Amino acid sequence: MGKLQVLVVEDDVEIREAMLDVLADHGYAAAGAVNGRDALEKLEKGPVPSLILLDLMMPVMDGRAFREEQLRMPSLAQIPVVVVSAYHDVAEHSKVLNVEAHLKKPIIMDELLQVTRRYCC
Amino acid sequence: MIEHETSAERLRQSDERFRFMVENIKDYAIIMLDPSGNVSSWNEGAQRIKQYQAGEIIGQHMSAFYSAEDLAGGKPARLLREAMAAGRVEDEGWRIRKDGTRFWADVILTALRDGSGSLIGFAKVTRDLTERRASEEATRLSEERIRLMIQAVKDHAIFMLDPEGNVASWNEGAQHIKQYRAEEIIGQHFSRFYPEQDVLAGKCERGLEVAARDGRFEDEGWRVRKDGTLFWANVVITVIRNPEGALLGYAKVTRDLTERRLLEDEKVRLAQAQEAIRLRDEFLSIASHELKTPLTAMQLQLQSLLERVKAVDGHVASRLGRAIRSGARLADLIETLLDVSRIATGRLELSPTKFDLSEAIGEAVERMSGSAAQAGCPIDTRIQPGVTGIWDRVRIEQVLANLLSNAFRYGAGMPVTIILKSDGAKAQLEVFDEGPGIPETDLSRIFERFERASSTRNYGGMGLGLYVTRQIVDAHGGSVSARNRKDRGAAFTVVLPLAPEPVARVEPKPPKELR
Repeated sequence: MGKLQVLVVEDDVEIREAMLDVLADHGYAAAGAVNGRDALEKLEKGPVPSLILLDLMMPVMDGRAFREEQLRMPSLAQIPVVVVSAYHDVAEHSKVLNVEAHLKKPIIMDELLQVTRRYCC
Repeated sequence: MIEHETSAERLRQSDERFRFMVENIKDYAIIMLDPSGNVSSWNEGAQRIKQYQAGEIIGQHMSAFYSAEDLAGGKPARLLREAMAAGRVEDEGWRIRKDGTRFWADVILTALRDGSGSLIGFAKVTRDLTERRASEEATRLSEERIRLMIQAVKDHAIFMLDPEGNVASWNEGAQHIKQYRAEEIIGQHFSRFYPEQDVLAGKCERGLEVAARDGRFEDEGWRVRKDGTLFWANVVITVIRNPEGALLGYAKVTRDLTERRLLEDEKVRLAQAQEAIRLRDEFLSIASHELKTPLTAMQLQLQSLLERVKAVDGHVASRLGRAIRSGARLADLIETLLDVSRIATGRLELSPTKFDLSEAIGEAVERMSGSAAQAGCPIDTRIQPGVTGIWDRVRIEQVLANLLSNAFRYGAGMPVTIILKSDGAKAQLEVFDEGPGIPETDLSRIFERFERASSTRNYGGMGLGLYVTRQIVDAHGGSVSARNRKDRGAAFTVVLPLAPEPVARVEPKPPKELR
């Protein structure tokens, strides 16, 4: 498998595909996961991305549970995470989850690209 | 002769023994009076009860034992007359001891006559019943006190029913609760306190039956006052029987629990209302997430399409731009609706942090530069640097965004001015536009819900932004006001304490997912 820059963890297929499209348009190697569990499995198989864009409200394993699992695994703990959520208080969630940054839905494309650029040189 | 002497001797001995016996009786004063009422003999009991020695009282008139009132009323003479006429008289009353103290006496005065019927004197037997009287008096007083107490109780109707269910006594509480006066209800059947359907259903008879059978009957229900209004009553009917078991009647104690009942109804209604609010919150929260999800996907697609066509087709790009702006407005409306819901249900929670408002405003203005350009409003900022305080940053930025979009809407094509300054205790943020100003009649109500100064046809939005603004400012312990400027345009002024004592709850709360 080739180089992976961004893993988009998002249960809504339209949002996931739109984010992947935008990222692809701008030349990023991006892959999607449909929930936290799926993301962990993909991460364990590798390759390891430079950035994880993480939705919070997802079935099977939500963003919070994923973040806890991630931080428990030394091989994955260092991957920067940016939370992407529709929560009004997404800033607070991000603080509690100790992530790099957050984007509020609906996402502004420029902000998405800006934050991606910061972690994927 | 000898025999006669012996018989006389026996009689003498018998008299002697009898006299000895009488003299020594201690519990009864047994004395002889001569026909005019003077004491002629005295015994131990008399001495004990009345305290006189025989030597000091024999020869004295029996009136020595009576009180001044009795003497004034001629009681001793009357008793002697009655004893003479009837042979015997009994009297109970106060008598006086030698030391002047009173004792309660039972007196039997018997006229003594010889064989020919001539009055030879009186026998007077007196018992001291002071102690018995005291205990009787105590009982009487205690019964009287209980009666008065029951009479005076105001919160409970306490009254008696005769065996047929007619009211036999009445107290203050009964009058207070049921509104009848004693004289208009005593003798009436107690069924008049019940609603008609209860009477027809035989509730009154059943209550008495159960009480007679089990000793007690308790019930809660609506009862009728004299004026026809209902009250919620707790009723206890207790059977009253004499020691032999015969039915004497019933004691009925009624309490007015209307207020408690209403309070309970109120609690139920409150719980239902809270549940309805909780469901609405839940619905709104889910609805908002559901609304934002497709919007997010749509906006991203539109933005990336816009980016692609921007260079090749200006016309399509401009139409995509409009679609994106509509999507953004939809997103804002969803947020505003949620805020209004949070405010309406008292859940506008602040997350205060210390930040530099001067910088935050600079950044917010930067973010809104697109909208400003679109509205044709150059922004002039006069910001005092370093105005730092403890506020909810997201909410304060929302306040500024609301005031700015308001200014862009009403003052389109004209400059908008933002002024921030601080006096060390408060921060004051002002937004000036150069639009038409606010009609005087609207000035007082533009911060109310669903109020908007202009008609819907000319301007978009739902008129909720200023309402949300004011709620946020209030929650920070600040104030927001609007006025028209002298030359032209409207001015909105927000004053925020630097270290607020917020009205809303501010305790740090974990995000929903961690709760």
